[in-house]
Parts: sequence; C-alpha cells; structure tokens
Amino acid sequence: MPSRKLLELFLEQAGNRPDSCALVFGDEHISYHRLLDLALELRSAMAELRVSTGRPVCVPAVKTPETVGLLLACLMDRRQVLLPSPELGQDVLRLLCQQSSCAHVLAAERSAEGPAVLGIRSVPASAEAAAGFVLPAPDEAMLFLTTSGSTGTPKIVPIGTEAADRFLSWSAEQFELGADTAVLSYAPLNFDLSLLDVWAPLRVGGRVVLVDQSRATDSTYLAELLETHPVHLVQAVPMFYRLLADGGRGDERPYKSVAHVVFTGDAMPHGLLVRLPEVFPSARLHNIFGCTETNDSFRHEVVVEELAPDERIPIGRPLPGVDAIVVGPDGKPLDGECTGELLVSTPFQTTGYLQARRNEGVFAAHPDGGTGRTYYRTGDIVTRRADGVHLLEGRDDFYVKVRGVRTNVQEIEQVILGHPEVRDAAVVALPDELAGARLYAVVQREPGSSLNGLTLRTHCARLLPRPSIPATVVVADDSLPRTPTGKPDRNLIKQRRMEMETTVS
Amino acid sequence: MTTSAEIKEFITAKFLPDTDPAELTDDYDLVENGVIDSLGLLRVISWVAETYGLPLDDIAIAPENFRSIEAIRNFVDESRRTLPVA
Repeated sequence: MPSRKLLELFLEQAGNRPDSCALVFGDEHISYHRLLDLALELRSAMAELRVSTGRPVCVPAVKTPETVGLLLACLMDRRQVLLPSPELGQDVLRLLCQQSSCAHVLAAERSAEGPAVLGIRSVPASAEAAAGFVLPAPDEAMLFLTTSGSTGTPKIVPIGTEAADRFLSWSAEQFELGADTAVLSYAPLNFDLSLLDVWAPLRVGGRVVLVDQSRATDSTYLAELLETHPVHLVQAVPMFYRLLADGGRGDERPYKSVAHVVFTGDAMPHGLLVRLPEVFPSARLHNIFGCTETNDSFRHEVVVEELAPDERIPIGRPLPGVDAIVVGPDGKPLDGECTGELLVSTPFQTTGYLQARRNEGVFAAHPDGGTGRTYYRTGDIVTRRADGVHLLEGRDDFYVKVRGVRTNVQEIEQVILGHPEVRDAAVVALPDELAGARLYAVVQREPGSSLNGLTLRTHCARLLPRPSIPATVVVADDSLPRTPTGKPDRNLIKQRRMEMETTVS
Repeated sequence: MTTSAEIKEFITAKFLPDTDPAELTDDYDLVENGVIDSLGLLRVISWVAETYGLPLDDIAIAPENFRSIEAIRNFVDESRRTLPVA
C-alpha cells in the first residue's frame, strides 16, 4: 500500500480485468472488482465514522482481504498508515500510535451478508510520546512499517512512495510477475517482504495466495495450499522450506509451478538447500538479503549442483542501483577482498526512522565525502570476496556472546531505559575469561529517586532472559559520559570500568 | 556478626560489589535476578562449606537452597544440625 502509483495501477487492473482473481484466502477467490468494492465500502465507512484525514491511522496487519481492502481505501484517501504487527501488546501498540500521531486504530472485518464492517478505536494523543518524531508529508511516504525489535519498542520506518515504486518495479521485473502470475504470501503483512508478496502482484494484475497466519507452521495446510493453488513465486524464511521438505509431500508431488524460490531473513542451512530442487524442480533459487530500513540489497542465485559440500551460501552481489561499501574499524572504506561492516545505499530505502535522533550515525553520507547518496549502517559484518560476492559474517559489537548466548546490548539498554526512574543508561560488554563477556550496566537515575541496582535487576528479570541481566549494575545520580554526537560514550565507560576493576583486584 | 549478615557480606562482596549490603533484603531472589548463575552457585557452596566447616561432598547442589540470603542461612543452620562437622 505504499504509493499513488500503486493505486493507479491497481485501479487500472480493476478496470481492465475486473473478474480476474486478485486474492485467494481460504476457499474464497476475491476478484479485482470485489477488492475494489471492498476498498470503496471501507472508504465510506471511514467517512461515516469521521476518521480524521489530517492524521495517520493505525491498521494492525491482520492478513485478510479486508485488511488489504482497508489499506487500498487509505491510499485512495491519501491517509498515511502505520502497519504494525497484530500481535503487539496493547501498551506498545498505543505508544507506537502516539509516536506516529495516529488518532485511530482501524480493523476491517467481514460481515455475514453485505459490506465489510469497520472497527474503530481512538487513541489518546500524547505530545510527550510524539516529541522528537517527525512525520513525512503524505506525498513522501504513505506507509509506516516497524522493525521487529525482540525487546523494547519497535522503531517506526516510513516507506518512501518513490522508493516503494522502484522496489515494486524491480521485483516485478526480476521475478517475471505479470497478469495471472500467482504469488504465495507467507510473511506477515507488516513485514517489508509483503511489498513483494502482496503489492507487487496486485500492481500488475497478478494473484496473491494469502497464507492464513494462524496456520503458518502447519505443514499439511501449506502443502495443500500449494497443491490447490499453484504459484509462480514463493518468498519465505528457511523455516517454511523446512516445513515443506519435511512434510513428506514435496518430493512425491513436487511443486512444478514454482519458477522462483526466494529465501531470506535467516541463513539457509546447507542440508535443507540441497533438497529444494526435488521439492521445486522448475525453480530458480535466490538468497535475498535486506532489512526493513533499506529493503532488499543483495541477491545470490544458488545453483545446487555447483555447491561444494558445506559451502556457505553467500548473500551475493548488490542489486542494480544498490551501492555497498565495506568499512574497517576506523570507518574507512576497504578495497578488494576484505571483511568489515556493511554500509548500503539502495533505491528502495527509507528516508530514516520517524524518531529523528535514531538516525544519527545510522544514516550518513559516504565515508569519503558527499556523493549525494545516503548510506545505511547495517551493523552487519560481511566479507567481500575477490570476485565481488559477499558473505554474511554476523553482527557488529552491539552483539556479544555471554556464556554462548547471543545478546544485544542495545536491547538491554532499551529495557533499562524503560524503567520510569531511569534517566539514562548504557550497557557495555567487558571481557571475561569464563563467560567470554560480562555485561556492565551504568545507570543514571531520576533526581530524587532511590532506585538501586537490586530493584533494577528485578525489572530486568521481568523482561529479559537471564543471561541478558547485566552481571554488574551501577546506579548513580551522575550523568553518563557522552560522545560529541550526544550518545553515551561506551568506549570510555568500558575503559573506566576496566581500569577500576584492575586497580581493585 | 549474625549468619545472615556474614552471608550478605559475602554475596555483596563477590557478586554485587556496587551494592550496599544493607539494601539486600533477606528474601531477594538471587537466582531469578541473575546475581548467582550456575558458576556463582559453586562459589557460594564452596564458601559455605569452608566458612561453616561443612563437608563439601555432602552438600546438595540445589539452586533452591541458595536462592536468597534467607535460604542460604536456613541451609547452613539445617546442615550444621544434621551433617557431621568436617
């Protein structure tokens, strides 16, 4: 639902081929004509309920034809939409609404007879929550996605209208989408993957086979769905392919219609990858790498016969129009064969998080100076081979291993910062002979607060897995040392603590 | 010094160096709140054995006995009553 252009093209399809199937959901086939009607019904319902036009609306991404219709209706009204996961807790959902100035949460549901029903819930505005969040103009971005933070509040990522159009054009061309091609929509509707799975086909008159989210791990259901509705393109996380391959039907009755298999979001295990040609005998296999902030940035086509045993699957080469830089620890670009942090600039990327201060140091100019392009600092460590193919190595130093458990110190910081008596906090990893790393949290409490390390631990224990609770929590009234850009100076905090511990012991 | 105070002093010195022993209540859950992990547990047990003269081999390494200051104190009291002093 990202752009006007999408709407124009959808309307064209609805006009030219009204009876073609747009969406398959359960036993239902929803034609382009019916989907357009659904959108118009919901548009009237929004007008009747006086949903304010000047502010974004929040539509929890329940994957149904009604939600797709509602998103189209919002597009017609030029309403910006926050599209969060339908599984968020009420408190987080309210906060996201307040941050993005959404006045209403909308939900479209079917009625037994007649038009769809629009459910509406108001959200109280909060100037405090919205402070520092900058809304783009509706012309610039219509859709706000969120990152899938495992703890803390998700970050809101506006998807630029032109960026989305470029992405939809690229994907239609890359995967040969056209009228009547069917695409499986496996990912939740709030994932950026749905731009390809849902909106790219609707733009060209194709058909979208919606996977019922409540049955997404039911291998029998998935196998039957693919048998009943042959599709041209499948994009999913490796788990989906595991379900199909182990479901025991794939190799017996392979899915011959599938021309493109895309895996993304997670490393594809070698043992599973080599089984895919049996399950999808006619398909080209693509490993695609990207994130919500930039959308897809790399593609690697895998030819299973050419794979060496245990060969790691590369993320491949940058997509057309994507510029990728690998930088060393000093932030300077590296040449030739190298390993370092990946910076990318894609034609599909966001203009930045809604929360302006989050963009500092994350979206930046080329390290060698302005080329006019903005680069996103992925935090991913990659190796670039001499042939220009990239391999993913892991995350940068915000991830540490504590007793073998991969732990993101920023997420722990977010949890600590969520305590009402905490003013500021930083979590750093200190080297530890036994545990590999040991977490150290330094916290500034609010003036007058009597918060101590023990109560803060209890707060952490409620929200974090035990290995993520910092080994040392120091609560003080002093402010944290800061870098010139205003962020906690983690290096200095780490250095001071290590010096202090050396002196003590 | 009472047994509780001794235990508290040990726990704060070893595991909570930045905490005032007075802040640590007798029922604070040391396991749940990530103060003592499995390695920490072994350190506590060996300290208990040494300090209170208990035979290490007879001590059950059960986290629930070491979950709080109170639990450790009860464990020490009980062990002193029932186990032969090493």
